[in-house]
Parts: sequence; structure tokens; C-alpha cells
Amino acid sequence: MSGRVFLGSVPTRRRRLAGLLVLCSTSAVVPMGGGPLAAASALGQPPLARPSRTITLSETAHLHLTSEHSLTLNEEGQASGTIRGTIYIHLHLSNNHGGVSAEVNIYPRGGSLTGSGSATYRVEGAQAVFSGKLAIARGTGSYLHASAPGLRFTGTIQRRTDAVAVQLSGPLST
Amino acid sequence: MPRVAFAGKLALGVALLACTWLPAMASGAQTVTLHTSFSPDRLGASTTIGFGFAIAGANGDVPSPLVSVSLGLPAGIDYLSTTLGLAICQPAALLERGLAGCSPNSRLGSGSAYVEVPFGQSAGHEIPDIEALMGPPNHGNIVVLFYADGREPVYAQIVFEGELIAGSQTLGGSLNAAVPLIPSVAGGPPVSIVSVSTTIGPAGLTYYEHVHGHTVSFHPRGVSVPLRCPRGGFAFSGRFTFQDGTTTLAKSSVPCPRRR
Repeated sequence: MSGRVFLGSVPTRRRRLAGLLVLCSTSAVVPMGGGPLAAASALGQPPLARPSRTITLSETAHLHLTSEHSLTLNEEGQASGTIRGTIYIHLHLSNNHGGVSAEVNIYPRGGSLTGSGSATYRVEGAQAVFSGKLAIARGTGSYLHASAPGLRFTGTIQRRTDAVAVQLSGPLST
Repeated sequence: MPRVAFAGKLALGVALLACTWLPAMASGAQTVTLHTSFSPDRLGASTTIGFGFAIAGANGDVPSPLVSVSLGLPAGIDYLSTTLGLAICQPAALLERGLAGCSPNSRLGSGSAYVEVPFGQSAGHEIPDIEALMGPPNHGNIVVLFYADGREPVYAQIVFEGELIAGSQTLGGSLNAAVPLIPSVAGGPPVSIVSVSTTIGPAGLTYYEHVHGHTVSFHPRGVSVPLRCPRGGFAFSGRFTFQDGTTTLAKSSVPCPRRR
């Protein structure tokens, strides 16, 4: 099953599916209801692979600096878009050709998403602009099987305040 | 390639001197002395980098005009956490209106230069004010605009740019600038730069920001001194190329801070 999920259309259906994913084994058949699993087992049929669902992630987050150490900025804020929740980003700036690496944790209702990525970084007056890729490697709860190997990862850092704005976009399998 | 533009006008006296100019005798290689400093010189601290150089021609001659400088910077300098250059100065605005054409938040430092003007029996000297400002980035690299405001005897406003190539913890970056030839008079030989002294850093700079409807001044944060000092101090190097085709290398180091 795959589909595009946009803001406002997600929660009920996703939570229902996510709940089923938690209740059932990861290799079980998980259609929209729970009955077929029991039926399949009863018939002695091998369980089918869990169908993943792919949503198109389109997140925007605004974060503020909570702490910094050397060239690492620790940021916290709110993500909005396909998924809503608290977001934490550790940005590691590198002097080496203006690169930045990032560790991202998002805590939507019912689970979490964790990823990392890298981007190029350039100073443009009052802000620094970064652009690169980020991969969601793991999740918990409703997002236990989340995977997004190639999200577009862009944003800005206000150089005076270190406030960060981030955009994440691309397909996310859950 | 540098963007170079001249908005120069020649003073009448200079025009008269032009009738008697003699070509600069700039034969042989130049020697260059490089001076560098951190202020403050403290590990990890926001600092102002001072650098200057003095050029001497062979046999006491006027040195050949400088055409490019590449200043090698120590490894480990943190260029990213600085708040220098919060505004971008457009070279065209700088040429048209001088410093008034750019935001104070684009200023990076200042200095002066000493040049020899190769006409007349006695060479003319000037000490123009030099300002360093944040220019439009080039391929992601920070660009430093150098603005020289000459008044006498050469009346010329000059903008040229240097590009900061960031280094790393182990490999130093560099500031590379192509220096335009500055004509002494229309059609005359270029002046020779004899010495330059300038800074990049927050010393003497005041920036402004709006906070809750009020304009508030603050001092920008400079680049940071590396967290560790290598044996022998923080090494700078300079590569100077002259119009006569020669290149001279010079080195300087900032001593390691004293341990407290």
C-alpha cells in the first residue's frame, strides 16, 4: 500500500495502521483489518511480508539554540507538515569546505524518528544556508519500521542568534 | 577573477606631474616581510586577525606593482561561528557611494596602505584608508571586499576582492586576492604598494540590530583562535606575485599564548 499523505489527512488512518503494526509481528500480513492474519495462520499459509506504506514527507521546522559546544549547535523546535511534533537537531559545522552534518530526532505522537545527514554550508550575510541529504534510519512506536534513505534536507541558520529553519522532504516508508 | 573598478579622478596637480613621470624602476625580485597577530591571542577566543606586509625592491628601487596576494592561514581557525559580515556589501554600491553605500554590519576590518607613485624626481606617497567588507559569496566561499579610498596624490576609489578558502583542523585556509594595478595618472605606470596593514575582526567595529523596535548596537564575534597551538606558534604564510612576473614567499607566526 502506498499513498501520499498530506497535512490534516493523516492521523486517524495512520494511527490505526501503526497500532496494528505494533500489535502484529513485523512479518505478518497487515491489511486494514486484523482478521486475515488469524485466517492465514489458520489455513497454514506462510505469512506474507508486511506491506509498507510510503508517505511523502514535507516538513518544516523552526528551532532555537539550546546549547552549543565548539562547532556543534544543539537545537530544539517544532516540526509541522506531514508529521507534527517536537524536533531536535544537532548540527555539526565543519570548517572543512563548509560542510555541516546533522542528527535529527522527531517525536510525533506515538513514536519517534531518528536520522542523520550532511549538507553543504555557505554564508550569505546574516544567514548561512545549507542543502543536502538526510536519511531516516530508525523509529519507534508508530514509526518502528520507518525508513527514508534520501530525504532532501535544506535550511538556514541565523548567524546572529543561531536559530535554525529546516525543511525535510521526500518519501518515507513506515 | 576579481571585480575591479576605478572611480578615479585625477587631481589637477597630479595631471601636471604626469608630464614629468619617470617609469618605475622595478627590476629584480622583491623582498617581503609579513607581520601577523591575533588580538586577543587566547586559545579558542574570538579574535581580530592583524596582518601586514612590507615590500622592498631590489637595490632600493621602487618595488614592482603587486598583482596578487595569497595569505595562508593557520589550521584550526573557526570561520563559521563568527558573526562578522552579517550584511553583504555590493561592490557597485561601494564604488558609487563609498562606505555609505553599505551597511555597517558588512564591515570586517580596516587598515591602511603605503604606496609609491612613480613620477617626478621624488616619489609621491599616500596612505589611503582601506576597509574590508563582506562581499557577495562566490561559489559558497566568503568574499572579502577591500575598498581603498585614495585622495592624494592619486585620487581613486578602488574595490577589489579576496576569496576566503576555508581550511580545516589540519589544513589551513587561505585568503586569495588579486590586486588591481592602480594607475598613477591616466595612461601612466601603476603605483607600487610598499606596505599594507589591516585587520579582519571585531576590534573597532560596531554592528546594529533591531530588537523590539529599537536599534541596538553590538560587537560582532570574530573568528576563533584555534583550540590548540602548534609548536612554533600559529603559522601564516604569504605568496606575493608582482607585475614583473616574480613571486615572493614570506612567513610569519603568532606566538602561542602564555599559559596561565
